[in-house]
Amino acid sequence: MRSRTAPWVLLAPFLVVFIGTMIVPIFMAIGYSFTSVTRSGLLGEGGLTNSFAWFDNYVAALTNANFVASIGRMILFGIVQVTVMIVAATVLALLLESASAKWPGFFRATYFLPYGIPGVIATILWSFLYIPGLSPIVDVLGAVGINIDFLGPNMVLWSIANIVTWTYTGYNMLIIIAQLKSIPGELYEAAKLDGASSLRVARSIQLPLIRPALMLTVIFSIIGTLQLFAEPRLLQTMSAGITSEYTPNMSAYAFAFQYNDIGMAAAQSVIIAVAAFLLSAIALGVSNWMEKRG
Amino acid sequence: MKSYTRRAALAATGAAGMGAALAACAPPNPGNVNAEAAIPPSDGPVTVSYWAWLKDLQKVADVFNASQDRITVETTWIPGGNSGGYAKILSAVAAGGGPDIAQVELRQVPEFALAGAIVDLTRYGFAEQADAYDPGALAQVKVGDSYWAVPQDTGPVATFYNREVLEDELGLKPPATWDEFRETAAAVSEAGKNLISLDPSDGSHPIAWAMQSGAVWFRPEGDGWIIDMTDDASIRMAEFWDGILADKIIGTGYGSYTTPWYAAAGDGTVLASISGSWSDALNETVPGGSGKWAVAPMPRWDDGYASGGHGGSSAAVLSTSKHPVEALEFLTWMCTDPAGIDAMIEFSGIGWSPAKDYIGEIRQQPSEFFSGQNYNEEIIVPMAEGQNLDWTWAPMMQRAQAIIGDGMTKAVSGEVPLVDMFANSQKEIVKIMRDMGLDAEEAR
Repeated sequence: MRSRTAPWVLLAPFLVVFIGTMIVPIFMAIGYSFTSVTRSGLLGEGGLTNSFAWFDNYVAALTNANFVASIGRMILFGIVQVTVMIVAATVLALLLESASAKWPGFFRATYFLPYGIPGVIATILWSFLYIPGLSPIVDVLGAVGINIDFLGPNMVLWSIANIVTWTYTGYNMLIIIAQLKSIPGELYEAAKLDGASSLRVARSIQLPLIRPALMLTVIFSIIGTLQLFAEPRLLQTMSAGITSEYTPNMSAYAFAFQYNDIGMAAAQSVIIAVAAFLLSAIALGVSNWMEKRG
Repeated sequence: MKSYTRRAALAATGAAGMGAALAACAPPNPGNVNAEAAIPPSDGPVTVSYWAWLKDLQKVADVFNASQDRITVETTWIPGGNSGGYAKILSAVAAGGGPDIAQVELRQVPEFALAGAIVDLTRYGFAEQADAYDPGALAQVKVGDSYWAVPQDTGPVATFYNREVLEDELGLKPPATWDEFRETAAAVSEAGKNLISLDPSDGSHPIAWAMQSGAVWFRPEGDGWIIDMTDDASIRMAEFWDGILADKIIGTGYGSYTTPWYAAAGDGTVLASISGSWSDALNETVPGGSGKWAVAPMPRWDDGYASGGHGGSSAAVLSTSKHPVEALEFLTWMCTDPAGIDAMIEFSGIGWSPAKDYIGEIRQQPSEFFSGQNYNEEIIVPMAEGQNLDWTWAPMMQRAQAIIGDGMTKAVSGEVPLVDMFANSQKEIVKIMRDMGLDAEEAR
């Protein structure tokens, strides 16, 4: 009996905080998402009614052009950015784990370093490389006749993608390297005896065997993409291209804390969570299906 | 027994979560304090707390604290409104706590009133002291017959421009009318520079232009709101800016006083900002700008008003305050007494003074940065006196401003001209207000 209660006692400090700040707010958000507040009179002097709104907030969210556009924007962002980042991470991992790599430890640390810089700081650093008049990159490109506005309405999404890629490629690379290290040496020996080239080893041994790690990084990246917030929110003050409802999370933030419409904000948050869950499930399903077929 | 323990713990966890969820199904709201009886003044000493993002506000409060021994004001710094300050204030009020006073931007005051977060100051005799305030400031905290906050500073719009480049180098003058603005902007654009640069997603500029032109977008009438964004005053302004945007003679990549703007202003490639009077302090940080800049009136129409309002904030008494009388007493001192105004200017660097006939002592002297011009008395005073006093802020300004900002962004890219955008926005705003339960209709 005593040995059974001990873990709970030890877990209690964690559980109290976890339940209080994670689980309860999730249920509250789901609850809020089904309510709506209406006020009457010029400024609500006529009183206020809380009502159960069924799925009204969800319908309103999904018919809100800005919110739908923000989801579309994140899907486009995800397709391009996640692909580029995962390919880059995989290539870096394979290169660092190849037999001919020089100073792999040094380069592993270097590539991983950006992950140690918080997203907010990274955005501020990069913004100085984006702003015309401050950025040496813009100056050099301008000198050779390429006029590019990194913060313009059409470019800024990719400028954000660049920051995110820069931050997370090294992190994903490390996950893949960990998986590569677990490949038994006999497989490489066998391949060598059969006269396989490095490319052939990568294609036939390494890539199939790191599939679980790749899947993990893809799912993390999809979830991360849907939750994009800090980078665009910071760049908003410098770029005319970022509106207050630019990403789904910025939209939920705007409705909660700027428009004071908690019901709508909660509904949007639930939609973001469900979408992240569905996209991850689809990614997992596709991967399993390919594995069975292959 | 063993499995029972675990199951019980899990069940308890689940039940606690579900219970909390059900109990909390309705978002918290502060109720309707303005329907309750007024809180009488306290007998003993009182401590009044004040949350604001003005810097060094405690030093202002200390001047007041030293002047009497009944009320002690304690200030706490919070992030600026939309950077987290409002979230903090509204959450605190919803939880039944929070300070006695909070800083709220002028345009947000009706939104806070609608959220039930602030006290109708008319119930505490504010109307009797209204004469002590600048009418342009007062008009912005009034909805119908009620005053909802004490104006703390305002932002009458003026033109802040690089005199050296605009006048000496290009031989141009700051535009006095909007027609001249168009010619000047074209000439500056010809020279490879921008007269001004706007962040189209910032809706505050079109709102200030509409105010100046004489529009009243949101008009309280009885228990309802009339939304009128397509009157002649709004349409002439929309047509004018559609022309400017079509000609591409101003910058639209970034707004005034952002990092890229400072870089361009320092280089002399952006020459001006048409914005609230608080721009002066920001403008003074343009690198190498001292002695080269100057201030001119906002360009204007033949009729309409001299200037519009841009920014500025108020101090609102929150609905959870236990000491509204004492809070108002302090705010009256801070926002009308010359000692309060001078302290706010010196320590907190506020925008334009909310007091009637007192602009602050150090603002009566010439400025070295602005070419030795006594710009406050010469330029800003007439701008502050020439405000559109009929203008009322709507109780969903945050959202309305985002809609206007989105509309401007689409106008810049040429998708929807401003003339149509205002008509569309009017419909959208009416719909949103009705969804909130308010009685709103489009003007006929």
